[in-house]
Amino acid sequence: MFLIKWLWKNMKGDRAVYSTALFLTVICQSMYIITPSIIQRITDTYLVGPEAAENLRTGTDHLVFLLIIMVGFTLLRAVIQYTANMCYEHASQGIIYRIRKVLFDKIETQSAAFYDIYRTGDIMTRVTGDLEMVRHSIAWIIKVTLECIVLYSATMVFFFSIDWLMALCMIALTPVILLITRSFKNVVGPYYVDLREKMSDLNTCAEENISGNRVVKAFAREEEEIKKFDKKNKDYNEANKKAAFTWLKYFPGLEITAQSLSVVCLVFGGLFVIWGRITLGEYAAFAGLVWTLSNPMRTLGNIINDYQRFTASANKIIELYYAHPTILDREDAKDKPERFEGKIEFRNVSFSYGKKEVLKDISFTVNPGETVAIMGATGTGKTTLVELIPRIYDVNEGMVLVDDTDVRRLKLKQLRGAIGIAAQDVLLYSDTIEGNISFGNIDLPEDEVEKYAKAADAHNFILHTSDGYDTIIGERGVGLSGGQKQRISLARALAVKPSILILDDTTSAVDLETERNIQTALRNLDFPCTKIIIAQRISSAKDADKIIVLGKDGRIEEIGTHSELIEKDGYYRQVYELQK
Amino acid sequence: MARNKFDIDEELETPFDIRHLKRALVYAGRYKKRIALALGLSILAAVAGLTSPLIVQYALDNCMKGPETIPGLLICGGLFLGVIVLSVLLAQTRAKIMTRVGQDIIYDIRKDLYKHMQDLPFEYYDSRPHGKILVRVINYVNSVSDLMTNGIINFVMEMLNLVIIVVFMFFVCWQLALVVLAGLPVYGVIIVAIKNGQRKAWQQVSNKSSNLNAYLHESIVGVKVSQVFTREEVNAEINDRLAKSYRKAWMKAVAFSNMVWPSTDIVSISTRAAIYAVGLLAIPGGITLGTIFAMGDYCARFWQPLMNLSNLMNTFINATAYLERIFEMLDEPVTVTDKIGAKEMPEIKGDVRFDNVTFAYDESAVILENLSFCVKAGESVALVGPTGAGKTTIVNLISRFYNLNGGRVLIDEEDISEVTLHSLRKQMGIMLQDSFIFSGTIMENLKYGRLDATDEEAYEACKIVGIHDYICSLKEGYNTVVSERGAGLSGGQKQLIAFARTILSNPKILVLDEATSSIDAKTERYLQQGLNHLLKGRTSFIIAHRLSTIRHCDKIMYISNKGITEAGTHEELIAKKGDYYKLYTAQAISPAGV
Repeated sequence: MFLIKWLWKNMKGDRAVYSTALFLTVICQSMYIITPSIIQRITDTYLVGPEAAENLRTGTDHLVFLLIIMVGFTLLRAVIQYTANMCYEHASQGIIYRIRKVLFDKIETQSAAFYDIYRTGDIMTRVTGDLEMVRHSIAWIIKVTLECIVLYSATMVFFFSIDWLMALCMIALTPVILLITRSFKNVVGPYYVDLREKMSDLNTCAEENISGNRVVKAFAREEEEIKKFDKKNKDYNEANKKAAFTWLKYFPGLEITAQSLSVVCLVFGGLFVIWGRITLGEYAAFAGLVWTLSNPMRTLGNIINDYQRFTASANKIIELYYAHPTILDREDAKDKPERFEGKIEFRNVSFSYGKKEVLKDISFTVNPGETVAIMGATGTGKTTLVELIPRIYDVNEGMVLVDDTDVRRLKLKQLRGAIGIAAQDVLLYSDTIEGNISFGNIDLPEDEVEKYAKAADAHNFILHTSDGYDTIIGERGVGLSGGQKQRISLARALAVKPSILILDDTTSAVDLETERNIQTALRNLDFPCTKIIIAQRISSAKDADKIIVLGKDGRIEEIGTHSELIEKDGYYRQVYELQK
Repeated sequence: MARNKFDIDEELETPFDIRHLKRALVYAGRYKKRIALALGLSILAAVAGLTSPLIVQYALDNCMKGPETIPGLLICGGLFLGVIVLSVLLAQTRAKIMTRVGQDIIYDIRKDLYKHMQDLPFEYYDSRPHGKILVRVINYVNSVSDLMTNGIINFVMEMLNLVIIVVFMFFVCWQLALVVLAGLPVYGVIIVAIKNGQRKAWQQVSNKSSNLNAYLHESIVGVKVSQVFTREEVNAEINDRLAKSYRKAWMKAVAFSNMVWPSTDIVSISTRAAIYAVGLLAIPGGITLGTIFAMGDYCARFWQPLMNLSNLMNTFINATAYLERIFEMLDEPVTVTDKIGAKEMPEIKGDVRFDNVTFAYDESAVILENLSFCVKAGESVALVGPTGAGKTTIVNLISRFYNLNGGRVLIDEEDISEVTLHSLRKQMGIMLQDSFIFSGTIMENLKYGRLDATDEEAYEACKIVGIHDYICSLKEGYNTVVSERGAGLSGGQKQLIAFARTILSNPKILVLDEATSSIDAKTERYLQQGLNHLLKGRTSFIIAHRLSTIRHCDKIMYISNKGITEAGTHEELIAKKGDYYKLYTAQAISPAGV
């Protein structure tokens, strides 16, 4: 019932169309009885009736009239059916369009913790295969169910009006069908849950292989990858068979029972004729409409089958549909439409991933316009630290303040809009270079795109690509060298003219000359900006107003300027010595 | 090849022809015995089904006369039930066979596609969104399953039905049979008209769905970037635009598809009306009423299979839009592949020679021109130079990730294009810029390049790169599961694991492409010591921007201007006072040095 409500809710906007479709289905089903009845009349009057020859001579006009009515009705029915079908399609496309929108929204707003659990391939399965099942259910399952109900009830009314005992005999097998389908429903459900799980695995396996194609080739692992996929493919194949075979196991029971209606009709109808309870004509009426009872009964199994499949898929979609992002605007979030000053303060901040403590009691302040460098050994939480500022994660203890306001009390959109990040793991889109640079600021004029590309020292190599700024780069920026990707990523971060610029190891793969050009450009930006730079090289850090060194225990180990730290015998000094 | 992005439709290069169906039938051909058996069962079931009207007819005529005919009636009922049970069981058996066959065909197609995918060159992956590749392997293949499971058999059965009915009709009354058949040309014209639009429309659907899914895929992968750039709204708009055009394409396609059934219905009823009209009015007295009655009935039976066939055609046209894409991908040329008669690369000693190598990713931009150099076994070579000069390209060519435009690359004086790719790459250890970590345990990731490595060897490799202690500090140690793309590990940790993975594969030639860029200086120093030990006796190529990591290399090559501009040891190049000298002194004059 919840599922139906959920579907209904998402049908908003197409409810009228869908109701029309359902209504037209009822009309159309009823019209199916008209053509046979006209044919019946023609047959009785002009072909087999006792006055057939006579009627034919005198009633030609009437015959022509009947024929025209017959064709006319079919035409009308065809039009109605077409309209009904298009209404179903319209409504079902409408509903999946709306669900898709919500799902996309959910995908976009989920916090990092969500993506630690859900795999790309799995989410893809939900929005592709599972959504298709929902469409199918609206366009097909509900429609067919309604058709069955209409047909079945109409016939039952008709039958009872002729002879109640005969009608009862005809109805006697219905409970059997219901019992079988109920047991089938309970049995087949889990198979479909399993089937879509296998589908998701298959998707995930292929997705990873495609993304990691370079590593696969570099290690010549193609054969093992094929084996791995083959297993998933086989699993999916078998899950499909299992589900289908479960259906086939119940198929004879359902089918034989449904078709037996004809036998019941023949035997009991025959007996009643013999006993004089009904006339031969009445028997013919029953016999002629047996299919209107047996067809719905036969279809019931198919409906249940698809419905179970739908349930398995819909539940997966609903899980995503109602997934709540853990990081969102608080109700009392402060509106701050003006440009941020760029002051940052960490106040006794601690943070853990699950149980693993990463940052411990971090406190420091960065004044507007200052540059801070963060250094430290691999895995000390440098990236995590900067990710707390745009609330990629929320702190466990203490608070992070931007412009003297706790970031959790700012509006996400305004907060993040004020921050430009060039992340360590550079992710570019399969779009033009220009599209990538103006990613965060799509209205950026062309000359500004160039300006920031120049600031990131990317302009020259961009001009050397085949189509310049219009060159399409591959997903994740494949086809570009590591240093080139980093520079585009930097230009992208600059293009939003952020109040706070975060550079997470952004120049690790560029040569020193380039790095020097970038540093000069960063000093001469045309907007005020606080900079946080994660760096491995002393050359990237030495000019900072403040250098913070994170220790293995997640605390700040050293803090100070280059000249201060160089005096101490600590990590910074050691690295300095190493790189001298 | 032009690169593709999420909102560009992929042009289909092959025009529609019957070959797609034929190729699909090749897959079915592997199961022809079972399909034939299923077909036999279907015919048997059809024949059994034909007897039931006879039983009913007999019962009507003979068994409803009086109480004495009751036993006869019951016998007829019993027989009828028997026929039903028999035909249902036949149908069940047939369905079982065909389910297996259909699913196996899908399995086969997907397997072939995936296998082919592994052979496709980098360019293929680099030039289109990954989501587009993914939907082909997964969703498109599923879309043809219906066609494969029931399409073939139903097609044959309906054709058989049709032929039988036509023969019957002509047998009963050829004039009226011609009237029925007169509906066919009309029907044909309608169907052809619909079909033309229908095919294009379904192709559009497959295009739009491909775009939509490609964008979805990218959005999932790049969600963090979208969030920090507060692009959610813009992205939602793009998604909305793509979803709308998909919806539009779909509605257009079903507008055609849904026309098929009603048109068949109209033509069917019209011919039936024509039979009565012609039979009763045009040739009165010429044909008996019973004949007209029978022909009316046959007319319905003639159009029934046609209706089913037209439904089948819908399925087929729909599936073709996807089949085309599948076959297009299967036909995608494997540009980097083993030559016919390619031999196994013998165990590599490590001499590497570039002989007049010219290379371009695409014609317009030549990266390397007439490059020649020679590296002796066991030497370590550093490649330096401005970003984008082709350093990564050079090392990629050693593993033959791309084909050359001219010249040869030789290892131990074997032209690497003459040996099998597998035997070549198996002996290479490449540490890529992008340290891709697979989902799975850390141990599985470490052994990625050499499955038969022992745990001890894995520990050893991790000790060399200095990540052993960290891994041991995790709750599950080496059995800790890392998620997709190594989420949960820091950039440096991923790089270290990727490094250990490369070391563990025990390569004969080692390539380190910015292998330590995300690693802090102290860890790097530690790593360096282990590495020096490791590099002994192995040919190695190192690309690094921190000159401190490479100054001890046997040879340093400065790459720019499509080739090597300087080569020699650190001391030689310093003495030469060229580009390398400039680079080095540029670092030296900075107060902190590098």
